[in-house]
Amino acid sequence: MRRLLVALSTIALLLPANAFARGEFDPTTEFEQHEWIPIHLGPLNLSITKAVAYLMISTVVTIAFGLVFMRGRPGRKYGRRETIGELVYDVAQQQVAEQGLPHKAIGRWFPYVATLMLFIFVVNFLGFIPLPLTGETWHGFPVWGIYAATSSISVTLALALLTFFFTHIEGIRWNGPVRYFKSWIPDAPKPLLGLIVPLEILGQFMRLISLSVRLFANMLAGHILILTFIGLIFILQSLVLAVVVIPVAAVFYLFEVVIVIGIQAFIFAALSAIYIGSAIEPEH
Amino acid sequence: MLGTILAATTGDVTKAGKAIGLALGVGLGALGAGIGIGNIFGSMIQSVARQPELRGELTGIQWLGFALTEAVVFYGLLGSILAYVLV
Repeated sequence: MRRLLVALSTIALLLPANAFARGEFDPTTEFEQHEWIPIHLGPLNLSITKAVAYLMISTVVTIAFGLVFMRGRPGRKYGRRETIGELVYDVAQQQVAEQGLPHKAIGRWFPYVATLMLFIFVVNFLGFIPLPLTGETWHGFPVWGIYAATSSISVTLALALLTFFFTHIEGIRWNGPVRYFKSWIPDAPKPLLGLIVPLEILGQFMRLISLSVRLFANMLAGHILILTFIGLIFILQSLVLAVVVIPVAAVFYLFEVVIVIGIQAFIFAALSAIYIGSAIEPEH
Repeated sequence: MLGTILAATTGDVTKAGKAIGLALGVGLGALGAGIGIGNIFGSMIQSVARQPELRGELTGIQWLGFALTEAVVFYGLLGSILAYVLV
């Protein structure tokens, strides 16, 4: 069964969208955003693009996951479904929320970090399932391809901005503005403060960059790696190469699916919890 | 030796330089991250060998460190790609 799945996904991966249209294969064209349904509100561009479509599907899948796996039904026997749901809940509570958040804030911020973890996991996971959403057709059939919404910097930056704003709002709410911003000034000799305080403020914004770029670059690099290896067949125009590159691409694919997507979802949620927690209790 | 090679070079040298820059950027980034990730998992093995009962607590920290270290490659990759595209 598992071998069949691997074989099927390998065959699906054999059909990169642009490979047939062009003699030269450029994996970066896979990540271009085309406006499928243009929506322009003044200067705002809210068009439905590939990333938006993937985000919508992911939202539906995340909600369905919650409804199917985490909803207890009275009178139903405890089964495999509830075990999976509890496993995810356990990771979210023990590894993510309790590691970073102080005890008094878990009730309020556990839902946020748990949602973040589940949602990013689903978005990443959908990125490795071939879907007919490349927006291109081959003899009238929609071309199947892999694409993750998180390999767009806009998506990850939006998620990181949420954490960024929540961090400072919570810091001000629990400590008051004066005590919160005073906590950014560390105990140091007076002359050094002029050097340390700007670095501290810069560090707050570096968190934003590192949080968003980590997820974005991980997913982008994973997809480019797989697409490039498959694309070598078309770039070098030899089918014999398939014997080598397809197993290699399959190995990278499995590495991404088994290890990377889960880790990245976990890390994003855990770091969000740590940032919010450290704003609530600055002396910590 | 180098002079003869350079004199024999035809074609787009800028493109070649960009490609070398990209590869060097990613490669050096990967070198550092490789050492770092090796350190993390090595320390994890040692810690668990000494105190197996701490495995659960250490796993979370291990993956946190892994992701933080691994991201370094991608900063290198991103910078290199930016340089490749923009310069």
